[in-house]
Amino acid sequence: MTYLWLALAFIAAAVVAGLAFARLGARHGETAKHWKAVGIAFAALAVLTAVFDSVMIGMELFHYDPSHILGLKVGLAPLEDFAYPLAGVVALPGLWMWLTRRRGAGAKSNLKGLVPQAVLASRPVSWINTAYPFAAAMLLTTREIDWVLIVGTFYFLIPYNLAMYGINDVFDYESDLKNPRKGGIEGALLQPHLHRPMLWLAVITNVPFLLVLAFAGGPTTWLAVGVSAFAVAAYSVAGLRFKERPVLDSLTSSTHFVSPAVVGLALAGADVTPGLLILLAAFFLWGMAAHAFGAVQDIEPDRQAGIGSIATVIGARRTVRLAVVLWLVAGLAMLATPWPGPLAAIIAVPYIANCAPYWNVTDTTAARTNVAWRRFIWLNYGSGFLVTLIFILQWSLTS
Amino acid sequence: MGVLYLLSLLLGITCMLLLDHRFRLFFWRDAKAAAIVTAVGVLFLLAWDLAGIRLGIFLRGEGTIATGLLLAPELPIEEPVFLIFLVLCTMVLYTGARRLLERLPARQAERERENV
Repeated sequence: MTYLWLALAFIAAAVVAGLAFARLGARHGETAKHWKAVGIAFAALAVLTAVFDSVMIGMELFHYDPSHILGLKVGLAPLEDFAYPLAGVVALPGLWMWLTRRRGAGAKSNLKGLVPQAVLASRPVSWINTAYPFAAAMLLTTREIDWVLIVGTFYFLIPYNLAMYGINDVFDYESDLKNPRKGGIEGALLQPHLHRPMLWLAVITNVPFLLVLAFAGGPTTWLAVGVSAFAVAAYSVAGLRFKERPVLDSLTSSTHFVSPAVVGLALAGADVTPGLLILLAAFFLWGMAAHAFGAVQDIEPDRQAGIGSIATVIGARRTVRLAVVLWLVAGLAMLATPWPGPLAAIIAVPYIANCAPYWNVTDTTAARTNVAWRRFIWLNYGSGFLVTLIFILQWSLTS
Repeated sequence: MGVLYLLSLLLGITCMLLLDHRFRLFFWRDAKAAAIVTAVGVLFLLAWDLAGIRLGIFLRGEGTIATGLLLAPELPIEEPVFLIFLVLCTMVLYTGARRLLERLPARQAERERENV
């Protein structure tokens, strides 16, 4: 009988809420249609429940303590299970009607195109660059796939990028407008009326994941998650605008890619060894080089829009040379890590080769480095492949 | 480790969202309100699950089509996904039924006009 009492308690709560919402939310003459639609929906849900609950119980997905249920069944589904759809269909449509009560019949949603825009803005081609460091760091440490790994990988694959690039595009609107390069593979112009919804979307899709990840780990994880989230916001929000502060811009950008790995290591409770620190430092230098080189092509539009970056301040030529040196140092640093880490030093070579032809680039020819930047996006996939091979080697050596 | 159940649920969610998209019912009608309804519904039903688990009524099965990953004792990772699906299914059915109810009189009126 316990299940019946539990179900009745929750149904009672749902009925009270449903009646209240329907009373508050229904426009004139809407109440009858509302309850008729609720009835139709419940009839359909009851049939679906009878069929699929039976299938799910038949597949042994869950079962019930027999002493707690009435024993009346439809197929394999206990009668009490129909309380779930009943409670849902009594309460939720009322809530919906109440929330949407102010919308006139002709009112158009001003959120049209938000999700496609957000996905385009988040540069799906680069999603893997933040999910991979997290997943690899955590998997190689714990050596098992648990829910934290799955949830965290999903977070760093999509919501994290929605926030990072969504926030960026909102606050970059002015300069993007003057930059013909935006709008395709490397970013998208974001309509001004979508700016506020985009920021809300970033908050809604990120905060729950950040809380879950913080909940799954200890103080080290809180610190890593905090730094990661701060770097995402601080890079572009008005007032901080780290992307316009030379050197700090490259440091923050690199944090965007290295911090997911640090969060993964913190969640996995990894031992801090010199080899691991050198690896993270090399990855960090790689990220700084990538950011600095990427900024070179935007020197002209950035200067026209009055935006500062490492490249606008120290100039195209010195920025390119700095990037080459950073990649070189990153590669050399890998030679100091335990085997098979030194193999990763080779990965620096294609980046240096891709960038070196612009050794003598000037501020006026800086836009030409876009060709190399496009290659760079695809080079990352090749590097990811090599890194994966090295990780597999490391895995087999240590098992 | 089976992913069949999880994949089926995700497929079901996709189908609901396709219906939503095609007929502009829920998220594609008012994304903010739909997000609130979904969050409230999932949290309400999840609280119900946890209460049932606490009382020892709900027991997780050992079915081979489930991943076996747990969020909490007796609470598999698939459960919140199932609840999202249930809420979406409920709301698509309700908003769809409302749409049909609104349309019927209009169409009747149209037919009557044509017959005059």
